[in-house]
Amino acid sequence: MKLLLQPILTSLLAGIVILLIPKRFRRVTESFSFLASLYLLAASVRIFLGSPVNAGYLYVDGLSRFIVLGIGFFGVIATLYSLRFMAAYKEYRSYYAYIIWTIGFSILAAVSNNILILMVAWGFLGFTLYMLINAGGPNAAGTSKKAFIIIGGSDSLMILGFALVWFITGDLNLSSIKIVVDNSMSSWAFLLVAVGAFAKAGVMPFHTWVPDTAKDAPIPVTAFLPASLDKLLGIYLLARLVLNVFILNDATYQVLMIIGAVTIVAAVMMALVQHDFKKLLGYHAVSQVGYMVLGIGTGNPVGIAGGLFHMLNHAIYKCCLFLSGGNVEFKTKTSDLDSLGGLAKFMPITFGTTLIASFAISGLPPLNGFFSKWMIYQGLVEKSKSGGVLWIFCLVAAMFGSALTLASFIKLIHAIFLGKTKDEPRTTNHERRNEVSFSMWLPPAILAGLCVIFGVFAYIIPLKYFIIPALPEGGLDLIGTWPSLKATVFLIAGLGIGLLIYLMGNLKGIRETSSYIGGEEIDDDMRLSGTEFYRAIEEIPFIKRLYTKANNGAFDLYEQGKRFVFFFIDIFRYLHNGVLSSYLVWCLLGMMILFFSFIR
Amino acid sequence: MTHMLLPLFVVIPLGAAFLNSLLGKRIKGFSDILSAVATCALACISIYSIFIIKDAGLIVYKVGGWIPPIGIVMVMDGLTVFMAVTVNLVAFLISVYSISYMEKYTEKWLFYCLFLLMVAGLNGVIISGDLFNLYVFLEIAAIASYALVAFGTEHEELEAAFKYAVMGSVASSFILLGIVFLYSVTSTLNMADMSLEIAKGGSPRIIMLVSVFFLMGFGLKSALVPFHAWLPDAHPSAPAPISAMLSGVLIKSLGVYAIIRIFFSVFGATPQILNTLMLLGALSMMVGVCLALGQWDLKRLLAYHSISQIGYVVLGIGLATPLGILGGLFHLFNHSVFKSLLFLNSGSVEYATGTRDLQKMGNLKEKMPVTSATSMVASMSIAGIPPFNGFWSKLIIIVACVQAQHFAYAVWAVIASLLTLASFMKVQRYGFFGELRGRLSGVQESPFFMKLSMILLAVICLAGGILLLPGVYGSFLEPARDVILAGKDYAKMVFMSVR
Repeated sequence: MKLLLQPILTSLLAGIVILLIPKRFRRVTESFSFLASLYLLAASVRIFLGSPVNAGYLYVDGLSRFIVLGIGFFGVIATLYSLRFMAAYKEYRSYYAYIIWTIGFSILAAVSNNILILMVAWGFLGFTLYMLINAGGPNAAGTSKKAFIIIGGSDSLMILGFALVWFITGDLNLSSIKIVVDNSMSSWAFLLVAVGAFAKAGVMPFHTWVPDTAKDAPIPVTAFLPASLDKLLGIYLLARLVLNVFILNDATYQVLMIIGAVTIVAAVMMALVQHDFKKLLGYHAVSQVGYMVLGIGTGNPVGIAGGLFHMLNHAIYKCCLFLSGGNVEFKTKTSDLDSLGGLAKFMPITFGTTLIASFAISGLPPLNGFFSKWMIYQGLVEKSKSGGVLWIFCLVAAMFGSALTLASFIKLIHAIFLGKTKDEPRTTNHERRNEVSFSMWLPPAILAGLCVIFGVFAYIIPLKYFIIPALPEGGLDLIGTWPSLKATVFLIAGLGIGLLIYLMGNLKGIRETSSYIGGEEIDDDMRLSGTEFYRAIEEIPFIKRLYTKANNGAFDLYEQGKRFVFFFIDIFRYLHNGVLSSYLVWCLLGMMILFFSFIR
Repeated sequence: MTHMLLPLFVVIPLGAAFLNSLLGKRIKGFSDILSAVATCALACISIYSIFIIKDAGLIVYKVGGWIPPIGIVMVMDGLTVFMAVTVNLVAFLISVYSISYMEKYTEKWLFYCLFLLMVAGLNGVIISGDLFNLYVFLEIAAIASYALVAFGTEHEELEAAFKYAVMGSVASSFILLGIVFLYSVTSTLNMADMSLEIAKGGSPRIIMLVSVFFLMGFGLKSALVPFHAWLPDAHPSAPAPISAMLSGVLIKSLGVYAIIRIFFSVFGATPQILNTLMLLGALSMMVGVCLALGQWDLKRLLAYHSISQIGYVVLGIGLATPLGILGGLFHLFNHSVFKSLLFLNSGSVEYATGTRDLQKMGNLKEKMPVTSATSMVASMSIAGIPPFNGFWSKLIIIVACVQAQHFAYAVWAVIASLLTLASFMKVQRYGFFGELRGRLSGVQESPFFMKLSMILLAVICLAGGILLLPGVYGSFLEPARDVILAGKDYAKMVFMSVR
């Protein structure tokens, strides 16, 4: 109990201390925040290494243990990166206080056993997210508003769901609740609680805050919250519900699978046509959640393990991608793909980390993203044993989504790092276009390293220590084994042999051809910024209509909800005409109705 | 001797108002200090009475020593103390705020006279054990508030005050009519005695008729839809401290408290009354928040939210389950705190920028850090974000709806809560974040006293959840809830303590 409570109270206190340090001691605040995040990492390592605890209100089991470790880890990464990136930000005290509180309350959310504590931590995280998005300055105000309405609104739905859970069981402890989903009330309870998890993780149709946040919030905030922490928590809650709290029926699993599959394809289609790399990454952050939900939705151990592993992997590579993107933005002061290009020479480390993370997210073996996707596919195949055809569609969607992911990252890499720079760089000059400083390239480099390690040593490290202990007993039975180590050796050998052949002098036979430009036909003398890639997809008649609608917010729950509510608001406003006599008439009418109902 | 405290709730503000009218104009600063001291004393006494009531349960003060039902009585029980703390705490903080804020008006001492009269009326309604006295105090508070709404004496203020006065008097007349009918049936005005008389049976149809009168009359005072139309005009027009008073405590003391006292303690709540209350509550909740969402005038937006939040309170109490009543009462207290704070924030913004239009503000957090931070706390509280106080009471109300199997109301409350959040996001986005308008570059933070009371209210918002902790819960919220749950046992307890 003390072990669990300590980091949470410490973060609370540390946040208050940060707020109280006088404004002129900027360095002190920054170092103190970094130390606090290091302490929280140490505490989470301790929780991870400790044995499962069940202390009534709080508890730790295999699942929450590795989530806590992830939270601590990403907390340090975000703080370290912010030191430099946010160096010019004026209200840095509240920024660091919210970061530290976010870490502490995320740990609390992950280890809470009591529903009430979970809801408090969960709701407060929405608030810190809101305040952190606001650190993006005046432009972020609209985004933060939208994000918090979606998150806070889904939190209140979650409260309703938990109220139903309490009504059904009379119990507030997650560890002892078991609800069989067999009637409408229990299904509603599950779905409403799941809405909270979905909105946090950014699953469709609650996703629209993610791309907007990615665009407007400061990069470390995006990398920290929507890209990593919110995924960890959202998918954690979903897994907790599916594994421990609810025993779902087939229909509910199917709903999850459909949501997952739709999210994968729709979000990646949106990502494909973005011109702003932050927004592009934001849509991918949505699309990848689809895999996790799909994996968990299969309901079998392989799929769930795949979903959880994908969550961890996604947090790593997406955080890496955002931070690398942040490096680019920090140096060039733009995130517009059109005005970037040719940065590979100037920023080799950033280029390397982006490349690795892009390969990982596209599911290229032997990196980690491949492994978890492979597990999710296996989960789907396993699902086929229970009949039905849904799994085929989901499998196709997942694979198709994976291909499109690769396609859109080819565009991203080309536009930022390869290709040619725009003729007149408005916002950049040559002296400034060099590699970023140590504290900014180190975090993405660590994360890129993890992408490789978690892929190559998948069985030995992540699965063994993180994923398998998180699952209920019974373990994991992979049908299609992927001997990651051997495969890596073969892959490297293959690449090496290829290189040898190339060097050995078979040079004459090499065919020279124009570079891949996304399958588009463009004149040779045009500059290829990469944004023109896949323009043809947008032009396909039916898809074109969908894109137009998507850009008008037709699929945005927030926009549609707004329209719906304002319809009623206009009626009410029309009725409130400010004329005293009509107000008095209402009173009398109201009284007459009361008379009719009371005295009949 | 503790029962000697009871008349103080009326005597102190009345006396202060009287002194104020004598000396306030002549001695500079006198009325500021007098009002602050008087309301502070009231707040202290009401907090002190928490502990008395915890031991005694119920105290009666017999005016002139005549025993009821012959004489007039003042009764203090858990619910009274709860309301008294709410009213006087908020009144004290608002009084402190007015010291700086009212500088921009002339005739400050007049303001304080009316303000103290209003406090006397509010306290009188709460403490009275006699239905006719309740009516008299209600009129004192109401008439003082009509005058206060018109205090700015501009076109807009006068129009709003006129509307408010007309509608308020209609409500008062129906209340008086109801009291007359009741008197004709029971031949008594003492609430405890009346309750016993009604329990004997006889004319139930007249009771029904009177119920409708009271629902309309007190419903109008508490701004329940469809009797709410005076509020969105009156609240924004009044000076900010008075808006805070009106929204924070007046509609609750005159409206909700009176409804609770009469329908639960005197008549005994029938399912029909409860269903009506829940329906009115649910209706107010949604209509209020929808209208608020479309508003750009900051104070009008807040005023519509008062309608919506009162809906929560009435819904919770209408459930009549222990959890529901607790949620309703707790929300009543919380709403007093955060809504007063929000109105004070709006006053502070208006004081600095001279506008209430959200479209003309922007990025005030840079210029007015205290106002901005406290308004953030209050917005989060009203939107029900943990760990602020509004979260707890809304949570209890929603859970109570589910527990009582009123699932539709639970969903309704959740939707209203979502819309509340949306509209306060709008306030924050256009008022305190976003781009700074050039016109506002010279804006400064408000003076000390305004900041002080805003910060104190924000602290109460933050710490509100403490009231649910086991040790504290038993002395403040639980006695109030038990009074409502006990219902018609009120009469028995009053007569027992007289003997």
